[in-house]
Amino acid sequence: MLNLIAKKEFLTALRDIRLQVSGGILLILMLTAVLVGKQGQQQLQQEREDAQAAMRAQWVNQGEKHPHSAAHYGQFAFKPKPVLSFLDVGLDNYTGVSVFLEAHKQNEILFSRAQDSNGMTRFGEMTAALIFQVLMPLLIIFLTFNTFSQEREEGTLKLIHGQGLSMAKLFWGKVGGIYGMVLLLFVPIIILAYLMLNQQSASLDTEVTTKFGAITLGYAIYFLVFVILGALVSAFARSSGVALLTLLGLWVIACIILPKATTNLASKLYPAPSQFEFRETIRNKVKNGIDGHNPSDVRLASLKEEVLEEHGVATIEELPVNWSGIAMQAGEEYTDQVYDQEFSSVESIFHRQNRLSEWIGFLNPYLAIRHLSMALAGTDFTHHVTFARAAENYRRDFVKVMNKDMEVNHKPTIEYSDYKVGQEFWSSIPPFQYELPSTANILATQWRSVAALLVWLVALALIGNQLAYRIPKL
Amino acid sequence: MKLFTHILQYEWKSLWRSNILKALLLVVLGAGIYGIYFGKFEIEKQETRMAQVQQYERQQFDSLLYWSTLDTTYEANQEKYQQAVSPTGVGWSKHFTYYLTHDAPPLAGLCLGQRDLFPVYYGFNVTDLARQVNVGELANPMKLLTGNFDLSYVFVFLIPLLIIALFYNIYAREKEGGTLSLLQSQPVSLTTILISKGLLRMLIVLLTVTVLLLLGFLLQGISLAQQFGLFMSWLLIIYGYCLLWTLLMGLVISLKRSAALSAMLGLGVWLIFTLITPALLNMFVSAQAPPPNRAEMIHAVRTLNDQNWEKPKSFVFDRFYQENPDFPSADTADFNQWYYASFTLLDDEANALKQQFEDQVAQRNQLLKRWEWLAPAAMVHEKLSALSQTDRRSHQDFVTEMYVYHEGLKDIYYDKIFSSEMFAPSDLETLSVRLSE
Repeated sequence: MLNLIAKKEFLTALRDIRLQVSGGILLILMLTAVLVGKQGQQQLQQEREDAQAAMRAQWVNQGEKHPHSAAHYGQFAFKPKPVLSFLDVGLDNYTGVSVFLEAHKQNEILFSRAQDSNGMTRFGEMTAALIFQVLMPLLIIFLTFNTFSQEREEGTLKLIHGQGLSMAKLFWGKVGGIYGMVLLLFVPIIILAYLMLNQQSASLDTEVTTKFGAITLGYAIYFLVFVILGALVSAFARSSGVALLTLLGLWVIACIILPKATTNLASKLYPAPSQFEFRETIRNKVKNGIDGHNPSDVRLASLKEEVLEEHGVATIEELPVNWSGIAMQAGEEYTDQVYDQEFSSVESIFHRQNRLSEWIGFLNPYLAIRHLSMALAGTDFTHHVTFARAAENYRRDFVKVMNKDMEVNHKPTIEYSDYKVGQEFWSSIPPFQYELPSTANILATQWRSVAALLVWLVALALIGNQLAYRIPKL
Repeated sequence: MKLFTHILQYEWKSLWRSNILKALLLVVLGAGIYGIYFGKFEIEKQETRMAQVQQYERQQFDSLLYWSTLDTTYEANQEKYQQAVSPTGVGWSKHFTYYLTHDAPPLAGLCLGQRDLFPVYYGFNVTDLARQVNVGELANPMKLLTGNFDLSYVFVFLIPLLIIALFYNIYAREKEGGTLSLLQSQPVSLTTILISKGLLRMLIVLLTVTVLLLLGFLLQGISLAQQFGLFMSWLLIIYGYCLLWTLLMGLVISLKRSAALSAMLGLGVWLIFTLITPALLNMFVSAQAPPPNRAEMIHAVRTLNDQNWEKPKSFVFDRFYQENPDFPSADTADFNQWYYASFTLLDDEANALKQQFEDQVAQRNQLLKRWEWLAPAAMVHEKLSALSQTDRRSHQDFVTEMYVYHEGLKDIYYDKIFSSEMFAPSDLETLSVRLSE
């Protein structure tokens, strides 16, 4: 019986010209988004790989020079374009893509695409995620809004009920049929997208299949939530018109107004410092010590004493090692400590801002899927921070190697300009590599969004089950 | 005419009695007022930050002025004195940092535009700009992506929704309510009646946007008298936009479909114009004209910097005098003269590339501009932000202003450096006056 109802709903939807048209448009949009998106992702990734390789070659072939000069010459890190960003571009247009790694300084990750565009960028890019998150629910609304109300208006609901069919069965049959219609649009696109994952994708992210599966599952749940919601509203609304307006109103609030309002509110609740304050704090802490009572000249003097004592000599000139190398490395490490402290405090402000809208996912499933999808696609804030960390750690490691070489090999008697190392040494520094976070990791940080989606699904299913027998038949 | 006012009167009564209109107006006004306050809040935040850096700059410079008057017979004062009067500063990275702020134009709070994507102030010293301008404001990318809930957002996105909600059932309601045949039996044509109903709704919409814009000026403390031209331009653009949506809804109604289908169609058109066409345009332009790889600039600058240091000093001087033949010939043994000459080379190198990048970006934006009409919502938003001077172009103008300011600084500093002189009190005075400008 359940199958019969589902089949009837499915076929009615399939034969409806309005849905044929809107479904057709949606399908075309999704096709375009996936095909163009994948091509764009591939091209960008290729560009970045090429740029990374070119910069590596520059580093290796920089010629003979002092290791400290090389540390100033520096290296670059380019952020890989995550494979699944072709499904969900997320924050990618608003975060920088490359960072210059040099001695003494932690540079910013620069050059977001949004800065090179006019205001149109703000209107979003056509990606599968935009269609799944915003347009698909609208289609679901069109599919569900009159599923009960129309039968009631035409009197068939009473007839069906009179034949002894339980309302719960009818409800789930309808939900099943409409969901089948949604899957008819969703599954082919997902299969197509899956087939587009290629060699490059696998080498960029070993877990891409798992992430792809998780994203698919997430959207499947999201759609089901909307189908049940739509059917419920239709079941209890006074008329089809009221049902439609209620659902459209909910859609506007959930997908258009609330996301913006939430994010703006979060930035008000958890204000971040300005660039100037941030830099000033770092400068002051480096100068006066993290606790404010350990100024840099005192730190240097005590380091000097320590080193002199360790080597059992009285002056720097007598040291068997290069004092500048030691002092510079100590300076780096202290600065790094300050940077770490300040950066993580700003990051935690941003995380808190984002977490607010993750929590609001329990009220608005759109926000839940938005965060989850971005995270799994590798385009959320956490991924950006992970890349920034990886790049910074790489910087510290290679600058340390440069300083160490200077400390050990650049004997105090040799002039700065006379001590040089060459290609062999440069190639001994491994190239920059960055592993994308694992699926388990992503799901662990996104537990709120996962939970929100599941809560929505379970709650609506329970409500549907409990209230089905109360659906008005007249 | 009498009949016409009659229809309007009764239509107004029935509209006003329905709670839907009140609810809609309440939501739109609420959103508008929130938007106005949000815009005000954001601009005030920027202004506080700008005031902060200006105050800091002033303080720092005042201590320099004070240091320049110190009695150098005391050894303790010597470093400070040197710091103040020496155009090269003392030691590494001890140059004075100047700040230039991008002050908020009067209407910025109504349309924040792209102002949040770019720094509203830059700090830089007299050395090369190339390595000092690559900074951003600390911002949560999530917020940048979501955009701002300001008044322009309410006009561009929500007002069309209000129009759809008011118009979709003009015809269908009569039909579904059974009053259509009554209307058709009247001496006036149905079209006249529908048009007058539409006109009334349009009046309501126009009144709402006018009130919102007036509230925007009022609550943000913008003087209407001084900015009357901008007020009128805004109003005209928004009226035009409302007219466009009314016409679109007129088209939808003329299909004479059911209320539900008309609402769907209206929303469909809204989606196409506010979401789908801009998103498609962005997608194609990204594929057609990808933004330039700006890392190249940093690379070029560091490579040149590396050469400056590794090669003999003549490498720098030769190129410097080719560009600046008027400078007194340098003392080739002087470190500072070589050092500062090298900065100009870096900037020259960077500027050539910068120009190239900007050309690329301009091409890309030209492409967007050519197809802009496909996305009227984006077009209107772009126009509003251009009027409010919060678009990308106004930031570019600010950057240009900074380059000019920096050139001016260099004129003063390099003169002293190349004649191996210290700043006289009058030089410091000139610099001090420039600050407060």
